[in-house]
Amino acid sequence: MASLSLEGIQKIYPNGFHAVKDFNLEIEDKEFIIFVGPSGCGKSTTLRMIAGLEDISGGTLKIDEKVMNDVEPKDRDIAMVFQNYALYPHMTVYDNMAFGLKLRKVPKAEIDKKVREAARILDLEKLLDRKPKALSGGQRQRVAMGRAIVRNPKVFLMDEPLSNLDAKLRVQMRIEISKLHENLGATIIYVTHDQTEAMTLGTRIVVMKDGVVQQVDTPQNLYNTPCNLFVAGFIGSPQMNFLDAVCSVKGDDVTLTIGKHVLTVPVSKKKALIDGGYDGKTVVLGIRPEDVHDSEAFISNSPNSIIESTIKVYELLGAEVFLYFDVEGTQMTARVNPRTTLRTGDRAVFALDMEKIHIFDKETELTITN
Amino acid sequence: MEYMQKLQKALQELNHITGITLDIKADTPEEAEQALIQIKCLCTAYREKYNSTDFLQNLMTGVLPAYDIDSRASRLHISTSDRRVLFLLEIKSVNDTVMEILKNLFPSQTKTYLIPVSVNVVGILHPIAPDESEETIRNTAYAVADTLTTEALALVHLSYSGIMDSLSELPNVFQETSLALKIGKIFYSEQTVFPYNELGIGRLIYQLPVSLCQSFLKEIFGSKIPDSFDTETSVAINRFFQNNLNIAETSRQLHMHRNTLIYRLDQIQKRTGLDLRLFEDAMTFKIALMIINYLHSERNL
Repeated sequence: MASLSLEGIQKIYPNGFHAVKDFNLEIEDKEFIIFVGPSGCGKSTTLRMIAGLEDISGGTLKIDEKVMNDVEPKDRDIAMVFQNYALYPHMTVYDNMAFGLKLRKVPKAEIDKKVREAARILDLEKLLDRKPKALSGGQRQRVAMGRAIVRNPKVFLMDEPLSNLDAKLRVQMRIEISKLHENLGATIIYVTHDQTEAMTLGTRIVVMKDGVVQQVDTPQNLYNTPCNLFVAGFIGSPQMNFLDAVCSVKGDDVTLTIGKHVLTVPVSKKKALIDGGYDGKTVVLGIRPEDVHDSEAFISNSPNSIIESTIKVYELLGAEVFLYFDVEGTQMTARVNPRTTLRTGDRAVFALDMEKIHIFDKETELTITN
Repeated sequence: MEYMQKLQKALQELNHITGITLDIKADTPEEAEQALIQIKCLCTAYREKYNSTDFLQNLMTGVLPAYDIDSRASRLHISTSDRRVLFLLEIKSVNDTVMEILKNLFPSQTKTYLIPVSVNVVGILHPIAPDESEETIRNTAYAVADTLTTEALALVHLSYSGIMDSLSELPNVFQETSLALKIGKIFYSEQTVFPYNELGIGRLIYQLPVSLCQSFLKEIFGSKIPDSFDTETSVAINRFFQNNLNIAETSRQLHMHRNTLIYRLDQIQKRTGLDLRLFEDAMTFKIALMIINYLHSERNL
């Protein structure tokens, strides 16, 4: 397997569209790296540049310390898995997996060994004689993975491989891919727009927007300490609540005012606001839905973080309830216990867990407190 | 001597397409010339009668007269009334590997014809079952492009036509699909699959003379025609247009505060005099941007 280095990678299309800007990343051997971001953010383009399918407009790409910018895709020792895979309809599973190797004139005995090994890893051994039409969606996807595995590449590149599967199958295949990474010990670069997929699969996640890397970190760190408004809003479902708040510093006390609601900033967050000179300025307060509490115990213990509103929508998801309400014209979501007595139309009191709030600069959109 | 060499080549070609090996003795240049003509005629006749690829190539490129289509198609057992779609695939080189992959994706029983167009373009004439929808065709297009990319490890661009009900439509459909490939690569260069009916205004702009494009840009921007806008602004503008000039929805999708988006729109208004929140200005701006891109990529403004 391999390590990769992307230094100042750029992609500018002939029509002038700057798809990827100054992309820098070091990928260790055996890492499972996820590129995540909204559609058009440049994640697939970056993957295609690593594969050699797109020319690199600027910067240096290295695989195992060797510069790869001008190396043909077939000589980069990579394998790809895409969203839209097609199996050869008249071939068996065995032949489907062997086909790529046959094209490369690999000796028959070696092909057999590689195919059987891939089938073992993917639990396809009993299906080797079947034709694609006799396979389920998940089994077909595993065959597509098998075609990549038999190449024994240095790096696996996967571009939204699960997007065409239904929700249930996607969850199942996520687990399969995770197991596959453990079994192969492979370096995998995986592109997705689905933040749940990113959070569950990756050892590190690269969040991209408009061709620019926003943050590279572990899933937990991205969730707990997003570096800007975009990352905070993109990672997490339902997304983080954002409220405009005016910061006031009086001696050692720092408060955030949202309309009639005044919230006291805890000690752990105060210093950054005081040092940053935010007194009197409007900042953006971010809080995750699970940190908005409706339990009486929490509310009575947090008198300085109370907000009031009327429930607009009540959504029961079984294990949890989402409550939607407005605060000063901005919609908020609370993720609460299903035993809550609140329903649509009820007047409600919530307490924010102020230790979990995030505060962002309104102009730069960068975090102040993380 | 020259005729002898040509004759040898023609004999090799005859062997290649028919499997027939001939040995011809020509003592004089005149005899060699005569033999060469005969062999060439044989090759042409064989192709006309037995080679469906040759027939479809000629039909597609408009070489074949319309009155000849039915009889020749019937000789080659090609149905003239099947519903079909044409995929036009461009890859670095249409080599044996590419053809082998395509042949296996569309085995002979699928009645799909692979028609080489040039060294880097191949046509795929694919039958459509009555229950197949546009969505199925789209999925097939993406599956072909992605499978070839995965297996041949090469960048693939693919355009596809609408459904044709008769083989006689092939020349027009080929023109339409070729145009889709060209326009797609200019205006939607970050995509790899271009449906014939999703070329939008790019199709119109492509047909415009350069002088007309330049006068339009001068009218909008005066002498200061912008080269391009920064990525964040371009993305914001495109998304704003996609969301029917809806600021709230656009800022939500871009994970951007609405005031930031409004600020960016104000900056564009300062720079160009166009207020993108107004439909007419937005439309003018969109067209101008596309023309700038077109002139940049195609004609080097």
